[in-house]
Amino acid sequence: MPTGIPNGSRLPAAPTASPAQGPDAGTGQAVGPVVVESTRSESEVRWRPSRHAIRLLTLAAAGLLLATATRRPELVGLAAPALLLLGAGRSARPERIGVRTGLTATRLYEDELAAVDVTVEDDQDDVRWVLRPGRGIEPSSATAVGSQTARFMFIVPRWGRRKVGSVDLVLHDRWRLAEGRLSFTLPSVDCYPRPAIQRTQVVLSRLPNRLGEHPARMAGEGTEFTGVRDYVPGDRQRAINWPATTRRGRLQVNTFAAERSQDVVLVVDATSDVGEPGSSALDLGLRGAAGAARAYLDARDRVGVITYQWGGATWLAPSLGRRQVYKIIDTMLSADAAWARGAMFSRLPRAALPPGALVVAFSPLLDQRFVEALRDMRERGFSLIVVDVLNAEPPKKFSFAGKSARRIWQMEQHSIRFSLRELGVPVVHWDGVAPLDLPLAPYTRRPLVVRR
Amino acid sequence: MTTPTAPPGTVAAAVAPRLAAIALGAACVAWTASSLPHGGWSRFALTVSIIAVTAGALRLAVADLPQPENDYFQPAPIRAWLGFLAFLRALPWEEIALVALLWLEVLHPARPGHTAALGAGLTAYLLAVHIAESGASGGLLLRRQAKVLTAGACLLALGAGFATLPAIGGGGAALLRVLAAAAVVAAAVLVFPA
Repeated sequence: MPTGIPNGSRLPAAPTASPAQGPDAGTGQAVGPVVVESTRSESEVRWRPSRHAIRLLTLAAAGLLLATATRRPELVGLAAPALLLLGAGRSARPERIGVRTGLTATRLYEDELAAVDVTVEDDQDDVRWVLRPGRGIEPSSATAVGSQTARFMFIVPRWGRRKVGSVDLVLHDRWRLAEGRLSFTLPSVDCYPRPAIQRTQVVLSRLPNRLGEHPARMAGEGTEFTGVRDYVPGDRQRAINWPATTRRGRLQVNTFAAERSQDVVLVVDATSDVGEPGSSALDLGLRGAAGAARAYLDARDRVGVITYQWGGATWLAPSLGRRQVYKIIDTMLSADAAWARGAMFSRLPRAALPPGALVVAFSPLLDQRFVEALRDMRERGFSLIVVDVLNAEPPKKFSFAGKSARRIWQMEQHSIRFSLRELGVPVVHWDGVAPLDLPLAPYTRRPLVVRR
Repeated sequence: MTTPTAPPGTVAAAVAPRLAAIALGAACVAWTASSLPHGGWSRFALTVSIIAVTAGALRLAVADLPQPENDYFQPAPIRAWLGFLAFLRALPWEEIALVALLWLEVLHPARPGHTAALGAGLTAYLLAVHIAESGASGGLLLRRQAKVLTAGACLLALGAGFATLPAIGGGGAALLRVLAAAAVVAAAVLVFPA
């Protein structure tokens, strides 16, 4: 299993690239992942004398100089081996060299092992590869760095678009008297947040009249047994419940619940990112939303996303299918850093927030405007669940002012959550470590009652 | 918890050239320091050569230690250690040692056989340093250069032989001897196939 991906929830291939992982992706073995994107480039090689050549040159020059100055021919002999080595080592060196680079994945999850393969089209010279990782890239291991083809394994610990870095190639001629260097930049990878584990879903009590997998309250053609009733002409014969028929003395048939799907809109609050990098509120929000998207899409629900941020809100209309996971994560990752007036959800088109949709918000509830937006949505009749991803507190201060400020901040946070609960919006806290099923358990055991 | 360990063969292959380089450097210093003449800054040259060979040996010994790009946040002892490492890696110790040893050799009265042996030792020292720092296979490198090294040894002996010929006619003839030896070496370099 790829590291970091929940067991049994491995994502399929990315929508635009070829399969992101090979059969052995993430096993930590150098032979595993298969290259999916390969590029070839030709670069100019800068040749210069090696340190060995400079030392030989020093010995030869010093020997000849001292021989001339002191008129002692044995010093010429002392310089002879160095001069011979320098002279015999001269050879034609390529000015340009082709290099092929290949990534085993252009899209990966946090902490997932990926690799970059580099191949030089030169079999005359000795080769040495050095990887210079980019920001946010953690090199894992390297194999065959002294041969024509090398492989560097790496992981990306945090989501985002990351430059893998650059690779320095050092070429030595046969006698290692000249050293050629060239450097080339590796392509970027998109790192997706590691989805949280969620196997259960919150289901609304009132579902739209659309075929799905959630048992509805009305009778239908589903698979979940709801009761027994008298047979009426037209009922299917296979629905007859023979034990009940025997007991009651007249034909009885089983009734089943209809199966419906729901619209789910995930709202990610990207206005504030507090906490340790790697487990900050935004990290948890993105991981939670990614996990929820997978869980609801697996249940054949239509899932959309709204990312609430300083530059406004970006959104993706609810839709079905596995590819929607990638679309959702791409939408979440396209954060706009520019400051602007906060967007209001009332301004979003109807397609972004379909009526009767279940809204799951991931937020640290630090931005008052976001809280107001949640209240606005509740007043518009949406069924909301807020997953509180606040994982940090103000630092403890021993002064009276510091203690008071901390206490006031805590009370303010309590009041925000209390006011939301009073409006009928459940607020559950998620620490980012446990599966999302745990905090959501009270709401996944039975349908969430829709209150208008 | 298990820590990755290199196979014994790999460790030996990494350590042997370093030990050889250190031993050859020390041998060259000892060879030139024998019957040290007075004057001509001989003690200074000897001190410089000892320091350079020792520093070169230390540089080879710590060659595998990584140098962090930013040591600003490190504690003072670690910063001092990193500064020492950077100093070791900054200066061309082997070149300094070569010049100091040749200078020391020149301070001696002419002794062609001794100088030829020093030449062989210095060439071996440079090859050992190169093998140690590049990680190249010593056997392969020496096999590739065997002919050249043999020819170099012949020229080394030839240079010593030139020195043993009696100079006739004073300073001009001595210079001519040097030029003749240099011409032989130049011809060998030009004729030797690349």
